[in-house]
Amino acid sequence: MSHQFLTISIAFLLLLSVPFQALAGSITGKISVKGLRSPANVLVYVTKAPGLSADLSNVKFTMDQKNLTFVPHILPVLVGSTVHFPNDDQVAHNVFSLSRAKKFNLGSYKPGTTKTVLFDKPGIVELRCDVHAEMSAYIMVMKNPYWAVSDAKGSFKIPDPVYLDQHGIKGVPDLPPGKYVIKTWHEKLKTAKKVVEVSGKGETAFRLDLKRGNPSVLYK
Amino acid sequence: MEVDNMMTKKTALLAIFSLAILLTIVYFGKMDPARGGVRETRETKIQGRVVSQYGPLENARVRVPGEDRYALTDRQGMFELSTNLPPGGKFRITAGKEGWFNNVQITSLPGPMGDIFLNPVYLNDRAGYRFISPVTCASCHVELTRYWDRSKMAHTSSNPMVLDMLYGTDPFNRQGIQPGYRLDNPESGGNCITCHAPSAAAAEGQSRDLKTILQSPMTEWDGISCDYCHKVRKVLTDRTKPSGTGAILERQTAERGSSILVFGPYDDVVAPPMAASYNPLFADAKFCSTCHNHFRKLDRKQSWEPAKVYTSSEWEGLKMEDESFLPIQTTFQEWQQWQRELPYNDANKGKKCQDCHMGWRKEMLPYDNYVVDGMARRMWGTYRSPQDIRPHHFDGGTEIQLKTALSMELEGEITGKKLDMTVYITNTNGGHWVPTGEPMRSVMLLLRVFDSKGNTLRMIKGSKLPPWAGEGNPEQGNYGGLPGAVFAKILQDKEGNNHVPFWRATRIASDTRIRPKKTVTLRFEFALNDPEDEPTAEAELIYRPVVRPLAKKKQWPVKDILMTSKVW
Repeated sequence: MSHQFLTISIAFLLLLSVPFQALAGSITGKISVKGLRSPANVLVYVTKAPGLSADLSNVKFTMDQKNLTFVPHILPVLVGSTVHFPNDDQVAHNVFSLSRAKKFNLGSYKPGTTKTVLFDKPGIVELRCDVHAEMSAYIMVMKNPYWAVSDAKGSFKIPDPVYLDQHGIKGVPDLPPGKYVIKTWHEKLKTAKKVVEVSGKGETAFRLDLKRGNPSVLYK
Repeated sequence: MEVDNMMTKKTALLAIFSLAILLTIVYFGKMDPARGGVRETRETKIQGRVVSQYGPLENARVRVPGEDRYALTDRQGMFELSTNLPPGGKFRITAGKEGWFNNVQITSLPGPMGDIFLNPVYLNDRAGYRFISPVTCASCHVELTRYWDRSKMAHTSSNPMVLDMLYGTDPFNRQGIQPGYRLDNPESGGNCITCHAPSAAAAEGQSRDLKTILQSPMTEWDGISCDYCHKVRKVLTDRTKPSGTGAILERQTAERGSSILVFGPYDDVVAPPMAASYNPLFADAKFCSTCHNHFRKLDRKQSWEPAKVYTSSEWEGLKMEDESFLPIQTTFQEWQQWQRELPYNDANKGKKCQDCHMGWRKEMLPYDNYVVDGMARRMWGTYRSPQDIRPHHFDGGTEIQLKTALSMELEGEITGKKLDMTVYITNTNGGHWVPTGEPMRSVMLLLRVFDSKGNTLRMIKGSKLPPWAGEGNPEQGNYGGLPGAVFAKILQDKEGNNHVPFWRATRIASDTRIRPKKTVTLRFEFALNDPEDEPTAEAELIYRPVVRPLAKKKQWPVKDILMTSKVW
């Protein structure tokens, strides 16, 4: 009797899950750029989407410092994430930011040391090194996990399973059906904006042509 | 079969050869194969004594050259130095102390060590001393001098703008082009060379003519030369100097041999023909105060009202004696005041000029290229951590520095038919006010707001750029009257003329430069034709090395530098 009940329950749950799977979708696309060598490293993101109420304590984002350079140059993180700042260089660095989204100053610290910062407010955080004027980078603090960074061919997928997995962000469902505003951000490209409709029948694909210029703010 | 046999033989030979190489490395390199070839290091204590002809020397700094760790000697001149040197072999141990020549002693580990003997630097400045040409220094310090030679520091006496301002000329060498110090003061030579050609000033006096210095075959006279700076023993307050401080030199050869006295920040340099002497002044911002502050003492009984321009703490920080002094260039005091007001635990506490203006640049990498170079590498090279090296590029007011000196953020809000724009401008990387130095410099904020069709929106409220930001076509850099703001120090004469040269100035009309790590918030309002429309705001921060009216008069081909730009 209990075995039969269990089988029926599992079948019912499976049935329930089918429409949910079908009613969620991802966004894929391709970027082409004019005035830049590569369409890589363009941040493509959904401006308004459900957030992620997940435990971010095991999520690891890293902004490295090596050969007088921040690596990566642009690091998108989910709001509430902690970023590690190892100094893998041969000289001391002093990471700081005076951006309104996050003000901090890690002070001067020696090679081989790591410091961490919690990013708890969405927006663009411009990083600087107090003693090396050439060093700058951006931490993009995202409101929701629906973003992607374009690859060398300009392709992207939102949500980006590879990026999320690499940083230990789990449990990000596809987007529920509806209309979404998609924007782009790249340091040297004019921000493009597009409204796309996620139908719930799998992937929604589109193409973006970007031109050289200044990007806009992350969220208006 | 034969092929198999040959292969087996080859493999065996290869194995024997590899083993032989490994054993050789282990034997000669004293490596531990069980630890994967890592050199065995064990903390060793070296004990010894630093003495002079007068007896033991206290507070001498002792170290293995190039290492971070050092020991200080006690009253008996004794030291105990911890090091990770492997046992066996001979090693150099150096000692240095302010006012004494550095010296070295060779020691074996383990084993007794002889005393390190230091000779005093007697105060014996010789006015007739001829400074060494930078060309000589370049034969060993190839990279250091190469970067110095590319810097403004190396060409202060041949700076065409300085010459035009002194003689009243323009780039076409036309005479009588105002402003010109000699045009206004035909009887006075001025004292520009005190800072612009200090080697010549030290040798010939500060009234020496700048043109004759340029025509001189003495290459050491052009710019601020290596030997000049490295002969500075002390920096003292000296109101007879244009900057109010003066460098006390020690121009002499060493006691023994023909070595040349060279002051520097290292206590472990013992490398003839340099007779190196440790001097902590070289790691101190005070060193830069010799020239990077400039005041004007107003004529008798004249004064001005600083309270109209500066807060009381700012005025106090500028360290003018009283209100008869006009602060012209105050980079050092700006930095000093910022540092003084920081709480003791602030991450910026202790930052000094050398940290930013003598830091590493990407183009210098890999680090080893710069560490020891040229002849020095072959002869006396000491491996030194890049952390302890100060590249001599002296970047300041250059594109590299300006690009990150300020940061900007935009915020907009649409209410009905109105767009409120807020611009936040922060002095992120400047440890002094920005722009600093010569008051002919300015930074301009240019704000353009337009609707989705590209039509410029009308500003209802907010500041505009002044006419001196340029009148005429904005495409040609004339921004006067456009929405924005300007950050500059304006010198004024008694007739009320702005942007006058320092020798004519009688007051500071305004000083809107951005203080270190501070944010300036500017608010603007624009009229929206269509409340449903989505407008765009574009803001640029532009550095202008010379204000337009002066650049026009002098026909200087100065170019603006875009510091940063943002879009909302």
